Amino acid sequence: MSEPVRKILAIVPAFNECGNIGRTVSEIRALAQGVDVMVIDDGSSDTTAKEAKAAGGMVVSLPFNLGIGAAVQTGFMYAQRCRYDIAMQIDGDGQHDAAFIEKVLGPIRRQEADMVVGSRFLEKTVGFRSSFSRRVGINFFVHLINALIGVKIYDPTSGFRAYNKKMIALFSEYYPQDFPEPEAIVVAHQAGGRIREVSVVMRAREAGNSSIRYFKTLYYMVKVTLAILLHMIRHRSVHKNNSEG
Amino acid sequence: MNIHVVAMVVSVGIFLFVIDLVRRRKLTFKYAIGWLFVSASAIFFAFFYKLLFACAAFLGFELPSNFIFFTMSCMFVFLSLLLTVFLCQQNNRNDCMAQKIALLEFELQELKKKLKID
Repeated sequence: MSEPVRKILAIVPAFNECGNIGRTVSEIRALAQGVDVMVIDDGSSDTTAKEAKAAGGMVVSLPFNLGIGAAVQTGFMYAQRCRYDIAMQIDGDGQHDAAFIEKVLGPIRRQEADMVVGSRFLEKTVGFRSSFSRRVGINFFVHLINALIGVKIYDPTSGFRAYNKKMIALFSEYYPQDFPEPEAIVVAHQAGGRIREVSVVMRAREAGNSSIRYFKTLYYMVKVTLAILLHMIRHRSVHKNNSEG
Repeated sequence: MNIHVVAMVVSVGIFLFVIDLVRRRKLTFKYAIGWLFVSASAIFFAFFYKLLFACAAFLGFELPSNFIFFTMSCMFVFLSLLLTVFLCQQNNRNDCMAQKIALLEFELQELKKKLKID
């Protein structure tokens, strides 16, 4: 039996990525045929939108910078409105290799999962595995998420993801802001989503200033932890109200 | 000049100022009501300050002024929390509007392309 044709949208959030976005869009279009590429230009002040358009992507330009969470959610809103079967998230900085798109889509196509995370740490791969301080942060979230919801996701900050219709409907309504990736896993799980990880290789992106990176990682960890814990409390109270009412 | 007279004049002044702001539509009733309540109680205690002293003594404040400062700081904390809630609500609405506008703009461009306008 041949597989049914599915409408797939690749959501590419981009903020001032004029050096990378053209290549990212062309790569996705070349390597993943049948996938519509939508770049969400998050209020860039450079030529991101123009380059994305020139490379053949659909471009939605937010009037001002809303942050990655709201940018990705805009993509989900479009996917929901245009009844896409699958939505992917691929970062606009060229870190994600479009050659792995099919692999990330696999479990969704086979209906084995509602959400798939492309993971750097599932196998001993040769690709980019992030800086030491960030790896410490990532490891922290692996254990936090495991402790809270009992699911072990080895790369919870990865923004290389695929979602089915159920998750599109969920995230078009609510998607976490600021540093959304780890929280989105918890949100998906709470909504009854089956989450799967597949191994991918990522490329390095431009490293930031090392002296502020440690502080930023710590800030990120504290902020996301609080966000996840608050979500758990909120979810519990909503659940309680529903069962009582 | 008597401090009570000053307190009365200031509290009545604030009360009238809030009413004037509502009259000139600089403040909507929703946001003015809290301020009206606060300035009305200020007027009340400016006139019946013996009651204020009694309240302070009853609650165990050594000086009535401490009671006033404590009440005021509590009020400001509550007020700023309330304003943060309004701010958050406005922020969410703003973001949602920006997302919808961006999507509508995109769809409009696509439609124009399809219909070959400009």
